[in-house]
Amino acid sequence: MNLRSVTSVIMTVSAFGTLLFSHQAIYFFFEDAGKLVVIAQTDSTESQFQLSNLIEQGSPYLGNLSAPITIVDFSDFQCHLCARYVKNTEPLINETYIQTGQVALVFKHLPNRGFDSMGAHLAAQCTNEQGKFWQFHGLLYEYQQGIDSGWANEDNLKKIASQVPGLDIVRFNSCFDAQTYKEFIDSDVKLANSQGFFDTPSFIIVNSIDGSDPEVIRGAQPFPPFESIIEKKLDELKK
Amino acid sequence: MILLPLSVKVVFSTPTYILLAIAVAIPFWILFNVFDQLIFFEPIWIFYLPDDAIVGFILTTIISILMGMLVGMNIYVIRNSKLKISKASLFSGSSLSIISGVCSSCSSVGFLLISTFGSIGVIASNLLTIYQIPLRIVSLAILIFALYYIHKRITQSCVLDINDDNSMGTEQKYQKKSDT
Repeated sequence: MNLRSVTSVIMTVSAFGTLLFSHQAIYFFFEDAGKLVVIAQTDSTESQFQLSNLIEQGSPYLGNLSAPITIVDFSDFQCHLCARYVKNTEPLINETYIQTGQVALVFKHLPNRGFDSMGAHLAAQCTNEQGKFWQFHGLLYEYQQGIDSGWANEDNLKKIASQVPGLDIVRFNSCFDAQTYKEFIDSDVKLANSQGFFDTPSFIIVNSIDGSDPEVIRGAQPFPPFESIIEKKLDELKK
Repeated sequence: MILLPLSVKVVFSTPTYILLAIAVAIPFWILFNVFDQLIFFEPIWIFYLPDDAIVGFILTTIISILMGMLVGMNIYVIRNSKLKISKASLFSGSSLSIISGVCSSCSSVGFLLISTFGSIGVIASNLLTIYQIPLRIVSLAILIFALYYIHKRITQSCVLDINDDNSMGTEQKYQKKSDT
């Protein structure tokens, strides 16, 4: 009895231990794969993350165009961890670095948390057309509920958009109904995947002028990791 | 003064089992918090607890501690084989503790499903995210049940063989003699 029981317990623990650690291993595998892709594509990546190129493409951004550092944020409006980042970390980055002109923040669409995500991102990009992206962005995270629970269906997105002060709702509806920015969002997703980003939120912090020296932050991390990378980059740029 | 169940007092009066429980609880606690994005190792080591994560954090901390205790108690039972515990109960006790622990990390495992299983993965991930807290409460309930089960086994499994003189105390031997 003893030997068998001990064996069965050890096997059970091993099985679940393996399950847990294989998950971690796969996570790290993807993470490393992402890094390899970043290394392999360094040349093209640099121009892709150049601040002027990102803005020319029509990506929503916050901050000064002459900011030496750019944070590229890959997020999903249905992702609760993205909401955590928006509520806890982004205000500190904004106050400390964006308002002081040291950092520009660029938003990239990575809808992967449910079937309503694409609609939310299409709507958000339509508000950017009228310079109202960040107001809509704030409202979406404020109203965020369970994934695909209906809070981000077409009707609700239009209702949320109607709360954005100064937004031309007729123009918005026309843009949204025509799915004008479908290809734009698909290209953001491709860009994210090419960098090994499959989870949201994910961030890449680069030198604005040429998109060089990329540093990656994965997950809804608090302010200190961002601070550490930004300060390091600012110090390097001063030298 | 905290009143501990007899089984807990018996098992954890030995430092080895306390260490074993800690050795099980800490890795699980770290794993759960990594999955919940409360502990990060890159670019710097950091732990933080935002408001929206407090309930989940409390639940996973309790689950980790109970898992440590349960594994410790199971090992105690294995080592003290005279307790004559059945294979089924031993297996279920350990299995339940591990399964419930894994359940509480399902939400994070679910995120991996998205890229692995496409649409089905999205649905699975959504369900696991939405029902994360209820799932953890279920895990906790299963763990408590498993603990109760192992407690009962430890405290009620002393079998006295009346035919074996060695298993009797002096009083019982005296009683037997006087009966004859």
